Parts: sequence; C-alpha cells; structure tokens
Amino acid sequence: GSKRLFTSPLRYPLYQLGNPQLRIFRPNWFLTLVRPGKEQPPDTAQFRIPMEMTKCDVKNYLEKIYNVPVGAVRTRIQFGSNKKRNHLSQKVKQPDYKVAYVQLAQGQTFTFPDIFPEKDRTAAEGSVEEMQEKFLEDEKQKQKPDPRRGGVTEWFGL
Amino acid sequence: MAASSSAGRVLTLCKQFQNVLRISSAINTPHCAANFTKYQPHVYRGKSPLAALSWSTPTSYLGQCRALHTTISRRGLEEFFDLPENWGETSVKSGAPWTAKQLRTKSNEDLHKLWYVLLKEKNMLLTLEQEAKRQRVQMPSPERLRKVERSIIRLETVVTERETALRLLQTGQEKGRPGDWRKNTFGYVYWYRFKEYAIPWYMNKRYKRKKFYTPKFVEPHIRLRLEKHIREKARKASLKKKTLAKLMEKFPQMKVSAP
Repeated sequence: GSKRLFTSPLRYPLYQLGNPQLRIFRPNWFLTLVRPGKEQPPDTAQFRIPMEMTKCDVKNYLEKIYNVPVGAVRTRIQFGSNKKRNHLSQKVKQPDYKVAYVQLAQGQTFTFPDIFPEKDRTAAEGSVEEMQEKFLEDEKQKQKPDPRRGGVTEWFGL
Repeated sequence: MAASSSAGRVLTLCKQFQNVLRISSAINTPHCAANFTKYQPHVYRGKSPLAALSWSTPTSYLGQCRALHTTISRRGLEEFFDLPENWGETSVKSGAPWTAKQLRTKSNEDLHKLWYVLLKEKNMLLTLEQEAKRQRVQMPSPERLRKVERSIIRLETVVTERETALRLLQTGQEKGRPGDWRKNTFGYVYWYRFKEYAIPWYMNKRYKRKKFYTPKFVEPHIRLRLEKHIREKARKASLKKKTLAKLMEKFPQMKVSAP
C-alpha cells in the first residue's frame, strides 16, 4: 500500500461497465476564485484549479461542497513562462495552472467584489502606531510653507 | 452532549468547545449556520475552524446554552470570501491549528465535516492571496494559510492511522495497495506496487517488456558499484578517525563520546 500523504490516490480503481460510481472522500483539491483578466459575461466565474481536475470534477465539487448551481464548465491550461532568468542566468519556470470558466445556472450572476476597500484606520490610544502617525503628521506640517505669507513662495524676498 | 442544539454541533468543531460555548447576541447574527447535510458543513464564519480568540471568558457549558433557531446557509460563491467586516483589514485574528492529539479525540463524522470546513477555509485564503497579489496589496495574516495546511496534514495522518488499524484488524494487511519486493534490471531490489489492469499480465505487452530480473552482463557492473560504495564508506570512516586523532593530539583532555 502506498504511504501517500493525501487521499486522492494516484490510481483510482479501474472502471469497467457496471462498476459503481467513483466516490472521492475528503478531496484534496483547492480552488482559487480569481478576478478575470478579460471581461467575462455576468454569469461566469473564473477559477484556478489543480491540473488533475476535470470539468465534471469542478461541477460536482461546486455543486456538492458549495451548493452552487453550475451550468457549463470550460477549462484551459495556462502555460507558466520559462523565459525569465535569475542572477545565475538559469531559466526560472513559473508554474503552469489550469483555469476553469464556470457558468452559473438558474440565471445567477456573479461579480468579483472589491476585497480591499479603503478603511479609515485610527490607531488605538497610547499605542506605538498612534505615536508614529502623530510624528509623521508633525513632519508633514513642518514641510508646509509659512501660512502667514498667504500662498506666496519664498522666492519673493520679504 | 445531549444539551447541544444543532448549532452546538457546529461549534463542537472548534477547538475549545468545552470551555467556550456561549451563545450571545453578539454572535447570534443572521449569518448563523446549522443543519449539517452530508457534504455541506457550513460553519458560521465568525467561529473560524481554528481556535477562536474572540471568546475570552470560558463559561460553563450546560448552564448558558440557549435554544437557537438557525437556517441552512446557502451562500454559494460568497464562501470564497471572508466576512465582509474583515475586508480591508490589515490583520485578522485566528486561533491555533488543530493538533493530531486533539484530532484523535474526534469521531469520524466530525473529522469528515472538519475536512470540508478546512477545505473551504483554505479556498477562501487562496482566493484572498491571489487577489492581494493582483491588487499589489499585502495579504492580511498569511499565517492562517500555513495553519490550515498543517491542520489538514494532521487530519490526514489521523485518518490514515485509523484506516490502517482497521485494515490490520479486519484483514491483517498493513498496506492498502498490494505490492511485492522485486529486482529491477540494475540489481536494485525495490517495493513494486501493483496496478489494476483489465487483462492478465501475460496479455499485457507493455508489462512484459519490463524486466524484473538482472541480466548476466549487468553483474560485473554491480560488483564495481559495490566496490565503489565500500571504498567510499572506508574513506569516510578513515577521515573521521584521522580528524579525531588530530584533535586528541591538540586537546588531550578532550572527552570523546563512545561510538
């Protein structure tokens, strides 16, 4: 028996006509939802999936685990560039990955949300961050020109 | 845990459930999830799969339980993202990863559900990581990803332990996949793992091309290889002895550990 670290075996049981449906317990596949680079139709979500997954796998995964109604799934493999070279002039390979375009059923739409909105952060009282912010503010204040001159630059004497 | 409601079962997945089960108004928001179905262990995001730090005071379990009404959470693709309150934060609190010792105390159903909780958490963190790279912003608390990975690995080891134990008891086999010790063409003996075929081996052309024996003409090469290996070992041992002798000459009072 193989001492593999994760469940999804390197060898699934052989399928012959009449065999029971293959079931995978505790799948070892992790999907990454990505913001599409090119404009996609409103019902399409773009995922990066492991190379070993197929369209059926993606459909079942999303339906069973995330309860997302999936219509069609299209996949492609993105070649990771092997052009860049490091300081030793050796070629550095960016890993290849598979991309899945999942169209949602039942007229659902999906837009990739903005996960990093600007938030006003006031540092806690008496903390190091507050002191740093205060110090930076003071420095900026020092750089400003003299307000009593009414916007006139220092070039004009007096 | 007779007193636990269905939401209580949700909370059993979190690390310190014995100490900190407290249903308060702060936690009981519309996001509460319950009602485990077989493959959809939706967990209220606030109770992260890791030990929650937000419960500061442990309360007695049985005394403070309230009957809780919860609905199945059908949030779909929202589960690829964190709670909306955490968007834009620079750091998100998270607890310790699961240890193998803790996981061994859990039942198989709980472990199965925990696997999916961890899977969803990892998916969420991976989407966050990729989006942070895209927006050229630092990912908040990247150590969460490492913690979840470690928890998953430990869960896997615990499950395989249980599987091997069961297999040993039921069939007496240590390994799930059958195999055999075989010699390859280079004279090395290795553990060959069997593969499932639809036809017997004598009809399998590719299998018959594989040689599980060493031909006669390879034997002199094996002998040379052996000689090389022995020579290297002898060289290493003599080097060790020489360095030790040199040191003893320089530092006669040096204490040497017995080999």
